[in-house]
Amino acid sequence: MGNTEQNVEKLLPLTPAVFAILLALADQERHGYGIMQELALRTDGKLRMGPGTLYGSIKRMLADGLIRESGERPDPTLDDERRRYYRLTDFGQRVAQAEARRLEQLVHVAQSKRLLPEGGGIGGNR
Amino acid sequence: MNPLPPDARRSQARAEQFYRLLLHLYPVAFRRTYEREMLLAFRACYRDLLQQSHPHERLRFWSMIAFDLGITVCSERLRSCVAFCKRLLGRERNYLMASALLRLDVAALTDRGLTRDANEDTLISVVPPDTQTMQQKGALFVVADGMGGHTMGEVASDLAVTTIRETYYQNPENDTLTALRQAVEQANETIVQRNETLRTREEASRWMGTTCVAAVLKDDRVYIANAGDSLAYLIRDQEVLQLAQNHSWEVEQVRLGAMTLEEAKAQGKGNVITCCLGDTLELEVYAATEQAQDGDILVLCTDGLHGLIGEEEIRAIVQQYGPEESAARLVARANESGGPDNITAVVARISLAA
Repeated sequence: MGNTEQNVEKLLPLTPAVFAILLALADQERHGYGIMQELALRTDGKLRMGPGTLYGSIKRMLADGLIRESGERPDPTLDDERRRYYRLTDFGQRVAQAEARRLEQLVHVAQSKRLLPEGGGIGGNR
Repeated sequence: MNPLPPDARRSQARAEQFYRLLLHLYPVAFRRTYEREMLLAFRACYRDLLQQSHPHERLRFWSMIAFDLGITVCSERLRSCVAFCKRLLGRERNYLMASALLRLDVAALTDRGLTRDANEDTLISVVPPDTQTMQQKGALFVVADGMGGHTMGEVASDLAVTTIRETYYQNPENDTLTALRQAVEQANETIVQRNETLRTREEASRWMGTTCVAAVLKDDRVYIANAGDSLAYLIRDQEVLQLAQNHSWEVEQVRLGAMTLEEAKAQGKGNVITCCLGDTLELEVYAATEQAQDGDILVLCTDGLHGLIGEEEIRAIVQQYGPEESAARLVARANESGGPDNITAVVARISLAA
């Protein structure tokens, strides 16, 4: 249940917070603060998420089966507090891909209307 | 990571205290599940902030926190309000049934204690990996405290949990509580039959028996079956519900109205129990069921734990820590109190989709 293509479409478009969390977890499992760090790092600190937005989204993503808790353990790079780690489910991965394709399509539209240069170069300060 | 200078540490402690207060604005269930993790994330972010010297970074940080809090407190409150209305209208149940709602976070631990030579407690925790079995039969937890000479208690408690697991998952009976009770009865029968083969006096010293408390979590209900003095607690907010029937002689006298607990304790019968698996085929297994709520914590344990640590302390520990940490702390507390018996605890945090 909850894993058909139809169900993938039903969740789109994702909220920015949900998509950002999926992206942060795409390459490895992370704890809450790890997700925040990854986001800040990838967006040069432009995108910041507070604890409330983060855990509110996590709660709904768990219920939707996008992510799963993968145990509690300390992070050796921080301190010896145990932290809850999260990882992407297969379903979460498919949803993230579908959302990325949807956004890609919109980028193509922007390019065809000359809002963006063709073939990458997103970022705009060049 | 570099240690912070003292004034930074003070500032950190103040900020954390303030944020902890603010977290009280969230609905209780949300706070219970995520308070600790949110505080940890906040602490780490605040640490990052202290390592930057820009004064306007602080302003930016606190306005981000205030904005985040304002928006998410409103949305969580709204959601819990909607969930409450659905419950009033009786619509939540269907939704729950339709969506593989039950999620469990479980830890289980058993320990010899400090004075016993062997561990005669046994536990199992079964969370079926496939959705179908989970929906039809649910997750099963059993704790058993064996007794008998020549460490036969170990054999008895092991036989009980194995039989219960096999019988329960193979039983085609649709009524969960009946299936669970039958599984415990089957375990009793198996041990009674085993005891009946003991004929000589020499053999009779190999008599064995065991207490047992079995719990099934399925959809949004908890099902309990037990015999003896191993118990099951459902912990919800400030409440502690004891779901099993305690068949200790002392508690039985109080239940029968024969004496007060103080009078019963004065009889010095210590840990005598009035029934267990392995004694007689006439055993009456106690069975009960209870509605679970999101955020409830189920604790199963032997008297090596609940005989030493009060319900209130058990509640405080499992609500403060995750299941794994809780189980470890419960066992450690029992050992700190002398650890006179084997100690076993299963801690399961129940999440229901809402």
